[in-house]
Amino acid sequence: MPETISPSEIKKVVSLSKLAFSDTEIEKFSLEINNIITHFDKLNQLDLNNVSPTSHISWRQPPTNPDEPHAWAGREEVISHAPAVVDGYFIVPKVVDKQEE
Amino acid sequence: MNIESVKNFTIEDYIHGFQKKEFSPSEITRLFLDRIQDLDPALHAFLTIDEEGALKRAKDLEDKKFSDAELPPLYGIPIAIKDNICIHGLQTTCGSRILQNYVSPFDATVIEKLKKAGVIILGKTNMDEFAMGSSTENSGFRPTRNPLDPERVPGGSSGGSAACVAALEAPVALGSDTGGSVRQPAAFCGIVGLRPTYGRISRYGLVSFASSLDQIGPLTRNVSDTITLFEIMSGQDERDSTCAPYPPFSKNDCPNEDDIKKMKIGIAEEYLTSGVDPAISDKIKKIIELLSEEGFEVINVSLPHTDYALEAYYIVAPAEASSNLARYDGVLYGYRYDHPINLQEMYTQTRSFGFGKEVLRRIVLGTYCLSSGYYDEFYLKGMKVRTLVKNDFDQCFQQCDILLTPVTPCLPFRFGEKSHDPYQMYLADVFTIPSAMAGIPAISINCGYYDNLPIGLQILSAPFQEAKLLAFSTYLEKRLLVPAPFIETIADRKESL
Repeated sequence: MPETISPSEIKKVVSLSKLAFSDTEIEKFSLEINNIITHFDKLNQLDLNNVSPTSHISWRQPPTNPDEPHAWAGREEVISHAPAVVDGYFIVPKVVDKQEE
Repeated sequence: MNIESVKNFTIEDYIHGFQKKEFSPSEITRLFLDRIQDLDPALHAFLTIDEEGALKRAKDLEDKKFSDAELPPLYGIPIAIKDNICIHGLQTTCGSRILQNYVSPFDATVIEKLKKAGVIILGKTNMDEFAMGSSTENSGFRPTRNPLDPERVPGGSSGGSAACVAALEAPVALGSDTGGSVRQPAAFCGIVGLRPTYGRISRYGLVSFASSLDQIGPLTRNVSDTITLFEIMSGQDERDSTCAPYPPFSKNDCPNEDDIKKMKIGIAEEYLTSGVDPAISDKIKKIIELLSEEGFEVINVSLPHTDYALEAYYIVAPAEASSNLARYDGVLYGYRYDHPINLQEMYTQTRSFGFGKEVLRRIVLGTYCLSSGYYDEFYLKGMKVRTLVKNDFDQCFQQCDILLTPVTPCLPFRFGEKSHDPYQMYLADVFTIPSAMAGIPAISINCGYYDNLPIGLQILSAPFQEAKLLAFSTYLEKRLLVPAPFIETIADRKESL
């Protein structure tokens, strides 16, 4: 495991996470995350070569439901909680600039 | 009637009182609402108090004029719900500014079941933001105090639920446990908290943090109420495919005292290390001695990977969280950053302003652990260690029926004591995380006090063996006779909290 993550790597991860931090915040986060990741080094003491990973606990094959639509009366109520709605559509800032059209 | 007169009540006692017309659901609801009004301005256990809804519900229940035989099992029982469990028409903030104005358009499966059983919902309780924390200091609104010592934390993340039950603002509450978030606050507040087997209770309507770990569990003042609530809430749900396809728990499956006495008790040295506060380890050793004297067979077992579970958890849980929390983008619901210049800025500013520090930290950590080049180094390793932790428990429960451990290595700590160092805070969950990683059931019960601070005993069993676990807990509760907490009032100090 790498011993430390650089602020530039943190910056990349912050961007992948759809977040935006100032340079000062990036510095602070780098220190905190590095402090946590240092502890992960402990896992290198274990021989994990022949161990299979457990992503989730399932006691039996997960059941499936019949592929049937269900009517749900909550549409208006759901839409009413959106930050911006016009004519039943969710409104977001323009995605494509004029020049690119 | 006054609040002190119900301090030792079980759900059964309330039901008998209703049947004998000693009091009505409206009177009981009023009693708890008044108590909330008295204490909560200093305690901060609730984020939403639904006074109007609760009183209307009590009246509606009374108007139905049930005969004794038809009375639903939780008729008129007031309950507080952690603010990450959806209730139709009430706010579900998850303790986060990003969901500050979010009103849930549906009921979680557990809420549907509880409503059908006759409960009266008093309100929604405070928590660490998105259940990420062990003290409620990460709440996006304000921390909750520990009713037993207002200068100390109530634990977390279900700290509001634990504090309100300990302070008797509600007789029972629901919380959720991802790495210890029901058991640790139950221990810090001196009450009972159950994390059931993964998949025993539907997660539909529980806002996701780490889906492979999240479980809903009750917080109560006695084991009997935990059994009653668990019986009603457990069972398969077609809306949650991770909900195990097994019949619901039934209290009739609990073994009798003769069979309880035949249970083999396991003690693991990994849980009684030098890092545990001697007040806690001494108390637990005394209980082990007591059980030996009573004829229980006590054996030493080993869970050699215990020490690695915490690190593996802090890879796996943030990885899942970074994915689950991608949905908060300001498009469909919740907070949106004002006047973004473009779509990208709307996403990044909404998330950066809407989430608190610990949530941001875990999103970044989780994204890092899943990112190209680091997946094998971190996430894959975390999942492999999870296998080893689970195997430890599988082997352990071939040798014993139940395992006794502390819930936490420390007594309730003071505000600010651990919040400056995230890793120190993570260590508060070191004994609750391994069982969460393995998906096995575990309960925290109050086994005594040290300097007026409660000590939590954790009892664990093999998956789906809650009948054994709860029967033994009932036995031990009767044997230890530790009083549930009761406070007259709460010192209104540190209003700035």
